[in-house]
Amino acid sequence: MNMTKILNEMLHAGVLSPGQFTILDELHRNRRFSVHWELRAAVYVGVLLVAAGVALTVRQYFAQLGDIAILGSLSAGCLGAFSYCFLKGGPYSTGEVESPDLLFDYVLLFGCTCFATAIGYVETQFDALGRLWIHYLLLSAALFFILAYRFDNRLVLSLALSTLAAWFGFQLADAFAAFHRYYRESAIAYSAVCFGLGIALYRAGIKRHFLHVYLNFAVHFLLAALVAGVFEHRFSSWHLPALALAAAAVAVYAVRSRRFLYMLYAILYGFAGANALAIRFIESTGMMFLYGIGTSVGVIWLIFHLSRKYREAA
Amino acid sequence: MRPGIYTDDQEEKVRIRREAKAWARSGLITEAQLALINGRTAHGLRQTNVFFRILFFLFTCIGVLAAVGLYFWLFKVRGAAALAASALFFGALGYGLAEFLVRRKSFYRHGIEEALALCSVPLVCWGIMTCLPVPDHSHSWYVTSVSLLFAAAAFWVYLRFGFLYAAVLSIASAAAVPFHLSLPPAEEKIVLAAALALILMTSIRAEGSETRDFARDRSETLQAILLAGIYLALNLRLHLLGSAFFDDHGILYDRCAGYPPWFYWTTYGLVFLVPALGLWHGIRARKRMVVNASLVLSLLTLATNKDYLGFRHYAWDPAILGAAMIVSAVALTRWLRSGQGETRNGFTARSLVKPEDHGISLADIGAAAIPGMVGAFPKPPQADRPFEGGMSGGGGASGTY
Repeated sequence: MNMTKILNEMLHAGVLSPGQFTILDELHRNRRFSVHWELRAAVYVGVLLVAAGVALTVRQYFAQLGDIAILGSLSAGCLGAFSYCFLKGGPYSTGEVESPDLLFDYVLLFGCTCFATAIGYVETQFDALGRLWIHYLLLSAALFFILAYRFDNRLVLSLALSTLAAWFGFQLADAFAAFHRYYRESAIAYSAVCFGLGIALYRAGIKRHFLHVYLNFAVHFLLAALVAGVFEHRFSSWHLPALALAAAAVAVYAVRSRRFLYMLYAILYGFAGANALAIRFIESTGMMFLYGIGTSVGVIWLIFHLSRKYREAA
Repeated sequence: MRPGIYTDDQEEKVRIRREAKAWARSGLITEAQLALINGRTAHGLRQTNVFFRILFFLFTCIGVLAAVGLYFWLFKVRGAAALAASALFFGALGYGLAEFLVRRKSFYRHGIEEALALCSVPLVCWGIMTCLPVPDHSHSWYVTSVSLLFAAAAFWVYLRFGFLYAAVLSIASAAAVPFHLSLPPAEEKIVLAAALALILMTSIRAEGSETRDFARDRSETLQAILLAGIYLALNLRLHLLGSAFFDDHGILYDRCAGYPPWFYWTTYGLVFLVPALGLWHGIRARKRMVVNASLVLSLLTLATNKDYLGFRHYAWDPAILGAAMIVSAVALTRWLRSGQGETRNGFTARSLVKPEDHGISLADIGAAAIPGMVGAFPKPPQADRPFEGGMSGGGGASGTY
């Protein structure tokens, strides 16, 4: 039994058209070999390296280069990229739109990184907005959102969401260590905004395929904030029931939508929350081992049942 | 005797289904045609989706560790013989359970049997090594034995169950051996690269036209890993990658990285040659994994070239490398598109088979991290201005340059 044999049988049975057979047979034998994703990956990594190089250059040589040279080149890069996208891009559609060429998505991403670097430079050098500098982030996020929707670009949407997270005060560098009360609350607020935006746009029928980008951001920020709360307060705050509720809701969504990535999130964050309690309240080594056995058996049992129920999703 | 626990037919059918699923996802076949293929490839194995597999694996590992820990704690196991016997018992139990789940319950890449089989490897090695005396004069002998034993056990798990990561563990463990033979550093690397090259050549030579697709896939991945292993053994400047940009203290440049000049410059040539040969072989034999591994290695060669030559790094180096990558990719795309039917020698830049979409991809995560990369210019946070100091402030995070 091999694929070639099956394809031949299907062709002779009239289940497969000769055209289909040729394509599939060539694909199977690697006689038709697509390097599409490799080329996209090369362009993507290239754009990331260019963005990193530009940022490093600006940071190291701003004194020698001067404001005009830096802002001029960043603005030129940004305008050039946006112009390219507006000239090359097709008309707006609420549905999924295919990129006109290999470069398109990444040129837009590059334009956005140039914009981000330019804005960061302006603010640090000229302190134009003073205490209100944080609102540059909101403006940038809004621009990235518009561009992401206009050109159907998931990468720029992720950029927009992470810039919005920055506006909410979320610090990438300190991650969990910085999840003090203030950051927890802002992470939960951010998560609610992400969730609300994603659902509202989904219900409005605008770029429905973006929903999971929103949900991924919302779920991570919410569950991470709640786990951090459980680690700090254990039983003595609303974080524990909220975590249990949120993890259960995420798990139910995973089952209903058959998006089992969310089940992974729900269980791992739930487990982290349970560990926070176990570390605090289980003092005996033996009990800790029993807890390990109990949780693993429980999770395996749960997943096993789900796995049997949704075997066709495998 | 065939060591694999699954029959070739089962493995082939699993592969056929996976390939057909990708075709259906890409719109190359209809759902009805997919159902037909699935109907003809009933393999009787129990599979699960990748996320459940991860959970099964993770929680089985936790369960095994907790059970072993509980046993040792409860029975206060002390003494070499008791430790060895217990470890061997749990190793055998884990392995036996893995075999049972596959033979009786038909598990295939289900996570549970993978974790059990994999956990049995260190347990069995621990059990055996605890029995062996440690010679006072040669600790390296002991470490070498552990590495070889672990490599052998992991390789058996690979042969038996077909877990690729077991083969990787086996190679990695065996690769540690030259570093415990008290050889000069250059010879350590020569022995390692030569051994990996020998395995790679043997694997390539062993391929025949009759090799089944699943076996070809597996050997292709292993060859890519071996190629990367050879490269890692040879590139003497890889540990410096990026340090010129991220290490504030700078690095004292050692002209030949502490190696004899002949060896240093030979490896300089080889770090170009190995990816080139890999790329040539990958393209000729249409091995995607080998091609991709070679491309990544080529990129590493370019990224470490200045370190090798002792040239100064500039802030714009990554931008030049990135621009070169973009230009190469665009040029290659145009060249392929200008061929007959947008194809040249079977290679095309068109998207034919779509990858699985889980809602968010690595590329999306990378894009989300861009603000942290381009805009890490923080202002010192102040008590009454809690929002400030955001490190991820891309679109305008501020501070001092």
